[in-house]
Amino acid sequence: MTPDRVRAPGRIWLRLAALLVVLNGTFPMIWIFLTSLKTESELTRRPITWLPLEPTLANYVRAFADQPLWLYVVNSLVVALLSTALSILAASLAAYALARLRVRGRELILAALVAVSTFPLITLLVPLFQIMRGLGLLNTYPALVLPYAVLNLPVCTLVLVSFFESIPKDLENAAMLDGCTRLGALWRIVIPLSAPGMFTAAILAFVNAWDEFLLALSFLGSQRMRTVSVGITLYQGEFAFPWPLISAALMMALLPVVVLIVLFQERVVSGLTQGGLKG
Amino acid sequence: MASTTRRSRRDIGEGVLAALLLAPAGALLALIVLFPILRLFWLSLHEVRLSEPWAGQPFVGLLNYRDIWADSRFWRSLAHTLLITGITVPGALCVGLGLAFLANLPFRVRWPVRLALLLPWALPLVFSGLIFAWFFDTSYGVVNDVLARLGLEGPAWLSRPGPAMAAICIAIVWKTSSFCALVLLAGLQTIPDTLHEAAAIDGAGRWQRFRHITLPLLRPAIMVALIFRTITAIQTFDIPFAMTRGGPGDATETLAMYVRTTTLDFLDFGYGSALAVVMFLISMAATAWYLRWIRGTSE
Repeated sequence: MTPDRVRAPGRIWLRLAALLVVLNGTFPMIWIFLTSLKTESELTRRPITWLPLEPTLANYVRAFADQPLWLYVVNSLVVALLSTALSILAASLAAYALARLRVRGRELILAALVAVSTFPLITLLVPLFQIMRGLGLLNTYPALVLPYAVLNLPVCTLVLVSFFESIPKDLENAAMLDGCTRLGALWRIVIPLSAPGMFTAAILAFVNAWDEFLLALSFLGSQRMRTVSVGITLYQGEFAFPWPLISAALMMALLPVVVLIVLFQERVVSGLTQGGLKG
Repeated sequence: MASTTRRSRRDIGEGVLAALLLAPAGALLALIVLFPILRLFWLSLHEVRLSEPWAGQPFVGLLNYRDIWADSRFWRSLAHTLLITGITVPGALCVGLGLAFLANLPFRVRWPVRLALLLPWALPLVFSGLIFAWFFDTSYGVVNDVLARLGLEGPAWLSRPGPAMAAICIAIVWKTSSFCALVLLAGLQTIPDTLHEAAAIDGAGRWQRFRHITLPLLRPAIMVALIFRTITAIQTFDIPFAMTRGGPGDATETLAMYVRTTTLDFLDFGYGSALAVVMFLISMAATAWYLRWIRGTSE
């Protein structure tokens, strides 16, 4: 009975559509990957080659040898993991209060959270720079951990509020009737049940922290403290910008994030749309 | 009421508990957001030059703001920011809408398409900038290579004002359209197929169904994507920084880049703060629009 105008498109069209979306999303990374396999002399050939003539892994070796790439990756990991942990801790406490308890000014708090999540980082740059300098925290991990944790707080809180609200209240009430305190119920019932929600929020926070550039560029001036995004962007070759080397470094820097989203894509999508669509 | 549930004596009142639970988040927000913003306003009313520490921090009233008004570099950076916003927000929305429609087709295997939408989102902005700088390289970039194969001669993209701006906008649209697509796709998936089928039986064509069913039902998702994209576009920093560092000259310098240069390179914290306040006000106007829209839809 279905009229043919709503009929699903044919197989070939479906394949073409999928190919288009996949190419659009992956082409830059494919190109960087191909570049990373080329030798420096091949890169200066014209017309340029698309596929590497003599694929080599030498750039990957050099990327780690020429600059402290390992150090950058470790810096990024430390900052991203610590800020994510701090964010999730503070956000889950706050989200529980907002989802379950009678909080005066709840709407106002939620609106303030949305406002903070849209905050231009650059406006915080100047005063935060002074604060961190005053506290002697420039060129230390806390200079980034604290701001990242706070900037991820709104998203994590909003995701977790909607998650807590989806856990039936009766479970907690039953536990409290059985003599649990409210905090006990939070610890024994709500937190285990909301582990997936926390995980989703944590992935979003981690990716945001891994990606941040402006504060990392400004607060960690010394080369040994650079995060991976700053380290690669400020990498100066002796002559021109060394693209094969940069490409290899980029591939390594992208690896953690790509692994995360390949493993947890459904979670990321649901978290993104929840954090975005719920206000 | 609290007395209706049996509670042990250890249990504390609900209000106290709520305050305790909200305290860590509140303290963090106060330290990293609230205090710095107040400090920013205070700084913007003073002359603070780190390069001249002997001069102290005299109060100068609105002098910094008067200087901004007369500062042509500020107006240029504001114009660049608005130009980038005006081009890349609708651009990313349109591309994102196209991607969302394609991704919403009934594929049997969904993960490659979903992954292809997530990858650009997860790619750091500054890396997207680096990669596109390489794409637009005059001699060895893939863009000019394709143009050459078509018999055209590509410009020296990143060293001329117009082409540099175009390249930056293309990079931003590519990077941000996937976020729009994800939001719009979530919206599309809430539209039941039966609506389309019913309308088709009533004789509605493709365009009519798009115009009268899809678009109105997609409105909330479009608004979310539009507002978030606008707010982030006003703050554009990473991609132009990676591609041109604001050059040639200051032809692609955005407001955020100008604020950073003024403070961290010229060490003029007072003037830089005043510039940042201007940016804060522009951004808050967009946020207010967003909050009003949320309230409108929840009622």
